[in-house]
Amino acid sequence: MYITEDSKVVVQGITGNQGKFHTQLMLEYGTNVIAGVTPKKGGQEVLGVPVFNTVQEAVNEYGVDTSIIFVPARFTYGAVLESLEAGVNMTCIITEGVPVIDMVRLVETAKTKKLHLIGPNTPGMLIPDKIKLGIMPGDMAHFGDVAVIAKSGTLSYEITKALGNADVGVSAYIGIGGDPVRGKTLTEAFDYYVKDQGTKVIVLIGEIGGDDEEKVAQYIKNQKVSKPVVAYIAGKSAPEGKRMGHAGAIISGNVGTAQGKIDALESVGGKVTETPWDIPEAVKTYL
Amino acid sequence: MEVYTIRLLEYESKEIFSDYNIPLADRLVIVKGEDIEEKINQFNFPAIIKSQIAVGSRKKRGLIKIAQTRDEALSMCTEFFSRKVGEYGVEAILIEGLADIKHEYYCSIALDSSGRRFVLIASAEGGIDIEEVAATRPEAIIKQNISLTEGLSEIAAKGVAEKLGFSGENLDLAIDLFMKLWCITTEKEAQLVEINPLVLTPSGLVAVDGKMTLDDNAAFRQELIVKLRKRKLTELEKTAQRVGFSFVELDGEIGILANGAGLTMALLDVLAQHGLAGMNFLDVGGGASKERVYEALKLIYTMNPKAVLINIYGGITRCDIVAEAILQTMKEFPNAPPMVIRLTGTREAEGVAILKNAGIDAYQDMMDAVGKLKEVMG
Repeated sequence: MYITEDSKVVVQGITGNQGKFHTQLMLEYGTNVIAGVTPKKGGQEVLGVPVFNTVQEAVNEYGVDTSIIFVPARFTYGAVLESLEAGVNMTCIITEGVPVIDMVRLVETAKTKKLHLIGPNTPGMLIPDKIKLGIMPGDMAHFGDVAVIAKSGTLSYEITKALGNADVGVSAYIGIGGDPVRGKTLTEAFDYYVKDQGTKVIVLIGEIGGDDEEKVAQYIKNQKVSKPVVAYIAGKSAPEGKRMGHAGAIISGNVGTAQGKIDALESVGGKVTETPWDIPEAVKTYL
Repeated sequence: MEVYTIRLLEYESKEIFSDYNIPLADRLVIVKGEDIEEKINQFNFPAIIKSQIAVGSRKKRGLIKIAQTRDEALSMCTEFFSRKVGEYGVEAILIEGLADIKHEYYCSIALDSSGRRFVLIASAEGGIDIEEVAATRPEAIIKQNISLTEGLSEIAAKGVAEKLGFSGENLDLAIDLFMKLWCITTEKEAQLVEINPLVLTPSGLVAVDGKMTLDDNAAFRQELIVKLRKRKLTELEKTAQRVGFSFVELDGEIGILANGAGLTMALLDVLAQHGLAGMNFLDVGGGASKERVYEALKLIYTMNPKAVLINIYGGITRCDIVAEAILQTMKEFPNAPPMVIRLTGTREAEGVAILKNAGIDAYQDMMDAVGKLKEVMG
């Protein structure tokens, strides 16, 4: 389980500007933020939330099972490792600019411990009307049965809001983040919502680069997924990027263009829309 | 819109290879502006003359040639330094002794993003057709996953070297080389370290070409990245980097300021569908400060756009801060091109009110803004 409305949340970096600002918004949303962590600032309170020096103390005291990270990139590795070592089930890394090698290490550690990471460089996760674990606007859509999984932040706000405006409810919104190495891949998040009983349709928001969308298409084919998938891929008009070295093509073949991703998803029955605002109508045909 | 990697030129990669004692041919580097003749006098010919330029297929473009004599080398170097491919010029020339090639191999250590691990990749069929080999005969490519926690083990490196057909002394050389590539990967925070071809000569293995990409996010602890970054970027891109947003110049005439790479790309796609073309890709980034938005707008003005489209969906970015930055630039640039603004998300009401008080309308729906922009552009 990633998160539920009962998740007990600790904010790492709660005393910083962003940490404090978004703790307030999460509290207003009704998220159960019960502790904060900033090294050497234990004993303080921020917005009525007690601050500890370490995640372990917050776990011992309150049994927190979910962490959200707002610490600067250079301290993110240490902060996430601390959360993993304290056995926190889900750690959501909001921070941008985390070195790739740190993420590879953290993903290895999380896998060994069978704990969940999401991000970095992600807006986080939202179960409308229940819990907001992140920095996304909380009022995009009401609760329902369509899951939104996105690589990008603001574009997914745009689409989720369009769903809300069209009176389509959302079972979960999950941003996997825009970095090369992520705690959850698009396919892992997709797999989670294929299995989620409360989700009837999955909306995928992809963009050029990498092979995440192609991998999802492969998964749909291999696992014979029958749950409807509606997608939008950004970057159709982007100039072709420069490539360097051959390793990328050797690892994943010649993938990454918008058209390649659209073709891959359509070939396995996915509905790919022309613009972000066509998503709600496409989703409605399945409800 | 790759913003995470710094690409090294061949000679820069080889400087690092040399620091790690990876065998290279005799070499000479002439950086643009240096005295070619004086430098060349220190080198023996025939030799291979390689332009150092940030584009691929250098051989096909005639940017790599063999010079039989010193005079020939001199005229080749002079010619190469005058060449341009697109926006790229030749930054340096690498002159190397000719390798006595018995066999060409491919090897690299690369980040496998979706696998979230590093992979040692090798093939006994190296050279320019390696991608073709990978596509048509994947069995000719050897891949060895590497755990970052455990590192590349000698046993794993030996396994790959044996599969390439190495034995005896060459087996040890290959293992040693793979271990060095792994050291470079972790110590320099590379996402790619590639040698193609890796050449077997009578005197052992030689790295004839070299490519590396480094992780820009690691700049805070990698001096090399900071140093290279200064050299690689255009003036506009340097400003963008300093202030903290990502920026790419495009061919259109509408200045674009948006937040989020995906939304910015989708915006450009939608504009294209309406026959409008962006002049740039500018993602002002998450949690933009007033100064960052202000600098971004200033940068867009320097490109003389016909109109400017601002599209902000605030999450970690706050609409009120964006609105204040817009007002500040409007005061300073009274003759700025027409601006169409769309603001929604975090602190939307406050942001819209700030603009309204100054007599500026802001749309909440992106398509309304695009419609207005069409009108403005006639």
